[in-house]
Amino acid sequence: MMNLLRAEWIKLRTVTMNWVLGSIALAFPLVVTLLTAAFTNNDDGNGGLDTEGLISVLTGTTVVSALLCGVIAAASITSEFGFGTIRPSFAATPRRSRVIAAKGIVVVAATTVLAAVVQVVGWYAGGALAESQDAIIDLGDVPTGMATMVGAVVLTALMSLAGYGLGLITRSTPVAVSVLIVWPLIAEGLVGALLSLVFSSDSIARWMPFQAGIRLAVVDLFDDGPSRFTSGVYFGAVSLVLVVFGGWLVNRRDA
Amino acid sequence: MITVHDLTKRFGSKLAVDHLGFEVRPGAVTGFLGPNGSGKSTSMRCMLELDRPETGSTLFDGKPYHTLRRPLHEVGALLDAGYVHPGRSGRNHLRWLAASNGIPKSRVDQVLELVGLTAVGGARVRSYSLGMRQRLGLASVLLGDPHTIILDEPANGLDPEGIRWIRDVLTHLASQGRTVLVSSHQLSEMALMATDLVVIGQGRLIEQSTVADFVDRYAERWVRVQSPTVGALQAPLAALGAQIETVDATTLHVRGVDCPQVGELAAAQQLVLHELSRQTGSLEDAFLKATAASQEYRSGGGAQ
Repeated sequence: MMNLLRAEWIKLRTVTMNWVLGSIALAFPLVVTLLTAAFTNNDDGNGGLDTEGLISVLTGTTVVSALLCGVIAAASITSEFGFGTIRPSFAATPRRSRVIAAKGIVVVAATTVLAAVVQVVGWYAGGALAESQDAIIDLGDVPTGMATMVGAVVLTALMSLAGYGLGLITRSTPVAVSVLIVWPLIAEGLVGALLSLVFSSDSIARWMPFQAGIRLAVVDLFDDGPSRFTSGVYFGAVSLVLVVFGGWLVNRRDA
Repeated sequence: MITVHDLTKRFGSKLAVDHLGFEVRPGAVTGFLGPNGSGKSTSMRCMLELDRPETGSTLFDGKPYHTLRRPLHEVGALLDAGYVHPGRSGRNHLRWLAASNGIPKSRVDQVLELVGLTAVGGARVRSYSLGMRQRLGLASVLLGDPHTIILDEPANGLDPEGIRWIRDVLTHLASQGRTVLVSSHQLSEMALMATDLVVIGQGRLIEQSTVADFVDRYAERWVRVQSPTVGALQAPLAALGAQIETVDATTLHVRGVDCPQVGELAAAQQLVLHELSRQTGSLEDAFLKATAASQEYRSGGGAQ
């Protein structure tokens, strides 16, 4: 398995597009957080940046990163089908489930590390900049602060897993990426709203898979939806189902 | 040794491979021939378990492909030189392949040198010509120093020097006792390279034999006679039941009789012969005759 993990790591790091998307996923939340921390004035009486605000900006922008990481994960497998490299991959390792597992582990691990770096750098650098603007940044002020930042990392991992699953199922980069963008940002909103109308309950919309996943990275969950932990487990289960179903399809189909 | 048994593959209603079975022996280059759409590439994919066949199996030295722990050490396959990420360098393409089978990085540089791509190993594959991609594909085949080699149209896109090079490489590998199966449309090249043949048409086995036996069985044979008084031979040859084709004023192509008969006849008539030779059709002629009934795609007519 170590050989396969090494092979998949070489594949992942030797495609420029992955570096471009990864850099954006890394830079976007950091740039927004650091700019917010640096330019929010705490002396004008308008309620400057506090700990909760800093975490909200950091984790909120990480949701966009998580989507990009989902795209990287989806493309890691769809590009193999697109360029035909899946054939030498499976010829080199006939037990396809091992290739699928190794690729999944590598891409999810890489994006998880990326998200963790974003949280750590964003928190410390953002905090330092905010304090230079006379803000008081103390993680103890926000009881859900640590859970939210850890949740943002978990969300990135699960979003990558979901993207990877969609890639395995669709085997097409445009289709997988479209679904990954349209589903959480548009389709779930529409379907959730429709279900809320039909069942006269707002809480149903919060059980849409990606909406539930995003709850991992929300500081305040003052509603009757699922808890952070439940949301994470639920979205994780959905993502895992996508990967398992995709893996089953890839095993069954011609390469 | 490759043993293909009862391989059947269907795409929807189209039967691509139809209960195909053959054996490829070690120590020889075996040509895998068939018209376009005859199922050669599909068969090769099924053999490597990349496509899932409806029936049948393929054994490599008695073992199914999926049981090979590190297949690159046992079977090297090049199905399409285009199966490379264009944004990745040739060296990195070989590196991930090598890593997947525990092959050291140093072997990557060795095979790059072997195929003459050392200088461009670091360049992205999108900048490679088709011939360079074929060489990269062959490098990937040689990575694990396998004893079985399967190549689908390896000479595509190669220049004459490249074609000769690949022929030399494959015959050298076969001479080392390896099993080499090569599909190609370049029949003249195959005639120079292969000693055995597997010929298929519409997914079915048409013939498995040596090249010599195949040509012997399917290609036309005739006797070429050249004489300043060739006209005097026509009547006696016709009396022997020969079919005579007049090529020019001094040359005949005669079918239905052999050289000794023509020679004796000429001697009896006291005729001078400038040439008396047995002629045999090419592998291409034999192939076209053998697969005439299996041509799925054929042109509508001759050039106008």
